[in-house]
Amino acid sequence: MTLLNLVNVSVRYGRLTAVRDVSIDLKEGQILFITGPNGAGKSSLLRAIAGVTPTAGGHIEFDGAEITGRAPEDIARLGFSMVPEGREVFGSLTIEENLLVGAGMHSRTAGAKGRTASDLASVYDTFPILKERRHQQAGLLSGGQQQMLVIGRALMTRPRLIAIDEPSLGLAPNITDQVYERLVALQSERKLTLLIVEQSSARAVMVGGRMILMRSGGVVLDGDARTLGNSEAVQAAYFGYEEQ
Amino acid sequence: MTITNAPALAPALTAARKPPRFALARRTVITPVLLSLVILAIAVLTVMTGSKPFNQAMIDVFLRVTLVVGLYIFIGNSGVLSFGHIGFTCLGAYAAAWLTINPMMKKASLPGLPGWLLEARLPYWQSAALAALFAGLVALVFGRVLMRLSGIAASIATFAVLAMINTVYSNWQDVTGATSSVVGIPIVRTLWPYAIVAVIAIFVAWAHAISRSGLALRAARDEPTAAAASGIDIPRERLVAFTISGAVMGLGGALMAHSIGVVTPDTFYLGLTFITLSMLVVGGMSSLSGAVLGVVILSALIQVLRWLEAGVAFGATTFALPKGLQEIALGVIMIVILANRPAGLIGNREITLFRRNRNK
Amino acid sequence: MLQIIFDSLSLGSLYALGALGIALIFGVMRLVNFAHGDVIAFCIFALLWPSTDAMAIVFAGQLPWYLLVPLVLIVGAGLSVLCEITVFRHFRRANPATMMIASFALGFVIRYFLLMLFTSRPKSISLLPMLSQPVEIFGARLPLLQLITIVATVFILIGLSLFLRRTRFGLEMRAAAENFSMARMLGVRANRVIMGAFALSGALAGAIALIFGSQTGTADIQMGASIMLMAFIATVIGGLGSLAGAVLAGFLLGAASVVMQVMLPVDARPFRDAFVYGAVILVLLLRPQGLIAARGTKERV
Repeated sequence: MTLLNLVNVSVRYGRLTAVRDVSIDLKEGQILFITGPNGAGKSSLLRAIAGVTPTAGGHIEFDGAEITGRAPEDIARLGFSMVPEGREVFGSLTIEENLLVGAGMHSRTAGAKGRTASDLASVYDTFPILKERRHQQAGLLSGGQQQMLVIGRALMTRPRLIAIDEPSLGLAPNITDQVYERLVALQSERKLTLLIVEQSSARAVMVGGRMILMRSGGVVLDGDARTLGNSEAVQAAYFGYEEQ
Repeated sequence: MTITNAPALAPALTAARKPPRFALARRTVITPVLLSLVILAIAVLTVMTGSKPFNQAMIDVFLRVTLVVGLYIFIGNSGVLSFGHIGFTCLGAYAAAWLTINPMMKKASLPGLPGWLLEARLPYWQSAALAALFAGLVALVFGRVLMRLSGIAASIATFAVLAMINTVYSNWQDVTGATSSVVGIPIVRTLWPYAIVAVIAIFVAWAHAISRSGLALRAARDEPTAAAASGIDIPRERLVAFTISGAVMGLGGALMAHSIGVVTPDTFYLGLTFITLSMLVVGGMSSLSGAVLGVVILSALIQVLRWLEAGVAFGATTFALPKGLQEIALGVIMIVILANRPAGLIGNREITLFRRNRNK
Repeated sequence: MLQIIFDSLSLGSLYALGALGIALIFGVMRLVNFAHGDVIAFCIFALLWPSTDAMAIVFAGQLPWYLLVPLVLIVGAGLSVLCEITVFRHFRRANPATMMIASFALGFVIRYFLLMLFTSRPKSISLLPMLSQPVEIFGARLPLLQLITIVATVFILIGLSLFLRRTRFGLEMRAAAENFSMARMLGVRANRVIMGAFALSGALAGAIALIFGSQTGTADIQMGASIMLMAFIATVIGGLGSLAGAVLAGFLLGAASVVMQVMLPVDARPFRDAFVYGAVILVLLLRPQGLIAARGTKERV
């Protein structure tokens, strides 16, 4: 079943077109990597889906509902959880408070208290380090720990899809490995759909799943990550020879 | 007359070592010429009507053009909002008062002035030039300190300057007469000096905008990191603009003093600060044409609302707005304009004659 | 000596409450709200019947204090929320300068609305007259009102901080103040948080109106402006968006004003405010990001 459906989506900043007519449909439970060189429009696309950046054309559906032009909080409430580039923890809030912000959208429903508590417990189960330091300011965490915190925070919203922008940014390779290990485990446990933006295709090849390669605002390649692998087409897209 | 979308005054600074300065001047000079023609046309029409109240109203308009263009020189080019500039207007106005009031009167009302000032009695145009110089000098001194700040910190610091000047002038009994009015400033009733000063302000603003310093400042406003990396000394360029705009504000202040013949410190405080800033923002903060048009449009609006308040006859019935509604309507209209055009009425564009090829 | 401390604390209280009202709104929407001072004035005039006399015709002012205080706070909160809905909501994507000018225009509208109903003449009112009797503490005679001002401010500050730390709404406000778009991506409702900030800020304006009104015994349309200028400065030197910084700077400014009044040579005393503003510039030069730099308010050059 299609969870996220993009039809001819474009994003513009003034005269500059960052994303041009991108169409993607993403099935529930899939892992999708969007890769591509700097400036390919990956982050802009993600921000447009999340409702943070306005679209200049096309439309976006989430779980069958049109979400083009809707407010970020409404989109989040439908089950689309975004982890933006640079992580963006609330540095002056404690770790637990960071997590609780994510639980807010369900705080008005019946049995919310119990559910929040159990969600919190399960995030702490997944990331024990967060439990240990839960009353510390989030700004004091290391990069890897912050990455875990923001994934945990996204989980607190009980999402159906988590979109992550460059989870490996600024992390040591072994920490990145850990982050991905958890992500993949979560995905299979909770039947989550993952939409991951990375600059390099190496991680996609390692993890597997579907891979879309973007360049200059458009989709260049779309296929199975392992099959595409390090094919010549991928190389070409990165290094900029235009294949005719 | 058309409005081009090209930020006509802002070509890339990096273009060449030796910018074709005259080419740039020739290309952009049409904007100040057109704006000055608007001013002069208004002046001619006013003189032709021969109406005294209208004459006075237009004097106010030209004074505001001078002040708002003065604000534009710093705020428009640097992107830093300043609340302090009316302080320099205050300095200019009092300097004009010191230099032109009859020495006999000065000895009675302002005995604290130094002897040479007590004896001075200059014609108004000389005093205005000196007042501009004085305000520019003070701006230079304050600017040396303040221009190291940026963003909101800089805005607040300029606010503090305004409040400081106001406090000093409101309390220095022997020199400024404290809060009581200083009277006896020769009144200049003809329209022309005010029109000419407004035109001078417009050309000064234009000349600064196309100078190396002005170009560097606008580059720094739009791309601070890139500008700093290419060796632009941002505090220095800001200081240049601050000083020039301080002088223009002082000039405007001197003429304001001559237009009403009386000065008090509170004439040059929050009220005037906000009305001039509003005109700049409503017109378009980073455009010289916006500065001038903002004044013309808001002043016209104020005038129309005043007439309505005074009462307009429709056949047999007279229709008048209740008192105070004028200001309320003005505020509401400003909000509506800004909500619909957050960058001001004409944005960052300039008025020119022809639609110009952008890559020229 | 004790007198000086109490004077600084009570003056600082007013500045701190004013600065908080500005910082709360700045935190969530980067708006420096110049209309705040006029909201303060409105709160006090809401207690009077429209008239042009110098002696005010009080109607709600005669209510017992336990009704009067909540009424004024609600008037402030209500007006402030109304400003947000009718005006500021249309400026969500505007730059700070435009928003600032819009808030000024709004303040202008409120001020002239009051002028139209009440004229510019200050009116004498007696709000909570029982508070003007002096009390004796540690050998110093202090007006009871001064004491109450300080105590009330302390309670407000404690209450506000508990509200921000302990409630769901407070949590969302703190998150939104630090990173608004991230908070929204986690489902925090932007309009609700902003309205909450305006309501709190308006209630604070009501509190200032009550304190200032009972201290001076007059209702003056200009009254908001004088506090606002200092409160506005306190917000900035405290570190724009930092609530703790705003409070700290408010008290510091209060103390600076009172201490300079006492310490300066007699000839220089009329120029006290000029020295205070000079000190402000000095603080800004030393710490341009404010005494307590708020997170997430990084500014470009």
